[in-house]
Amino acid sequence: MAFFTDIEREAIWLSLKVSTVGVGVSLPFGVLLAVAFARRDFPGKRLVEGMVYLPLVLPPVVTGYALLLLLGRQGVIGAWLYEAFGITLVFRWTGAAVASAVMGFPLLVRAVRLSLDAIDRRLERAARTLGAGGARVFFTITLPLALPGILAGTILSFGRSLGEFGATITFVSNIPGETRTLPLAIFAYTQVPGGDAAAMRLVAISVCLSLAALVGSEWLNRRAARRIDGF
Amino acid sequence: MRVSRRRLGIFCVACWLLAAPAARADDLLVFAAASLTNALDDAAHAFEAQSGDKIAISYASSSALAKQIENGAPADIFISADLDWMDYVEKKGLVKSGTRADLVGNKLVLIAPVLAQDSVTIAPGFPLASLLVNGRLAMADPDAVPAGKYGKAALQKLGVWDSVANRIARAEDVRAALRFVSRGEAPLGIVYQTDAAAEKLVKIVGYFPAGSYPPIIYPIAALTAGPHRDAATFIAYLRSPEARQFFTRQGFSAVE
Repeated sequence: MAFFTDIEREAIWLSLKVSTVGVGVSLPFGVLLAVAFARRDFPGKRLVEGMVYLPLVLPPVVTGYALLLLLGRQGVIGAWLYEAFGITLVFRWTGAAVASAVMGFPLLVRAVRLSLDAIDRRLERAARTLGAGGARVFFTITLPLALPGILAGTILSFGRSLGEFGATITFVSNIPGETRTLPLAIFAYTQVPGGDAAAMRLVAISVCLSLAALVGSEWLNRRAARRIDGF
Repeated sequence: MRVSRRRLGIFCVACWLLAAPAARADDLLVFAAASLTNALDDAAHAFEAQSGDKIAISYASSSALAKQIENGAPADIFISADLDWMDYVEKKGLVKSGTRADLVGNKLVLIAPVLAQDSVTIAPGFPLASLLVNGRLAMADPDAVPAGKYGKAALQKLGVWDSVANRIARAEDVRAALRFVSRGEAPLGIVYQTDAAAEKLVKIVGYFPAGSYPPIIYPIAALTAGPHRDAATFIAYLRSPEARQFFTRQGFSAVE
């Protein structure tokens, strides 16, 4: 493709990779947590909820700094990950995926939780009276009914991941081809005298990608509302 | 008339918020490179005590400040961490003619976490890549941020840039590079002498030879956008021997 320069292609590809992996890996956990929040009461529930939603309201640079302290090679968890599994996150694209996953996670959990709350519990109870076990009810009734919310949450957190800047640059720095995603590439261009034109191109690309994620999420939201009304 | 107490409270807060910036309009507004933070604060306090003028300083990377000035920020004085960004502002016609001067200089050093790494002799072809073992070299973005550009120039001159070019942890500014080293995430980093002096968790393991990078100069100038008459007085003060002690104490060097 001659339309994009090498640097642009690299940043787009990296952004998509980081966001896809980040959201993909966090999706099962997000659904699990949303189910726990919607359907269970357990000690410390408020605290866990607070922790999950915290990145939504914290300055991203704080989240990034916390990640550096916890998951860096010298960090509490990071040192253990390296000793036990040889995993390094800091200065790696995997670290960028972790940062964007953490930032997108609250949006994912929230969307899934809202769609779980909207489900008519009588449908689940009816299934139970007909002899279905807990797992069967979850996979054949609850999950399909929550699917629009899960999809919407996925796209929303994907969009959030695409835009992640503060936590990423603080945690994994700005390495071309490794951690320089679209927002970081834009930032890098704005730092160079005369880099404005290149920055504007990336801004346009970024707007298009984010808009696509947003429109997708809106569309799924509407579909979800229609589907739930249908019952 | 019924005005609830709550509404009155909101109204008062709104008034205060609106009035607050106005009260500061008389301050002399200085845009300064982040690496000047401690020294310039001290100098500004001393000047305030003498003159009775109020000085507000906004610290950020030189690039961000230059763009803000270009877009109409009402700053009186700009102090850049390199010549390029001052040239950029000057070319846009935003510098008051005849006010530009070189304020202070700085030196480039190689740092390591305080408990690691012995001294390194920095000379042409020194084994930087093997000193990193499997870690990364922390430095400000070598394509954009002044500290990184100087570092890249030095490493190129010493003939070791190619061996480490893909092992750089690019930080958004020099203080972020400092943080990667002080946290022990990067075994080595390149920062200014003044940054190394400000952080107890790192130590200087080597000085880059003076000729290996362009002179590091912080230019200062009054801006056309600034409404304040006393900008020239403050610039003169900062360049005086009296103010120089605040800068040399933090590791800045004098420039002629």
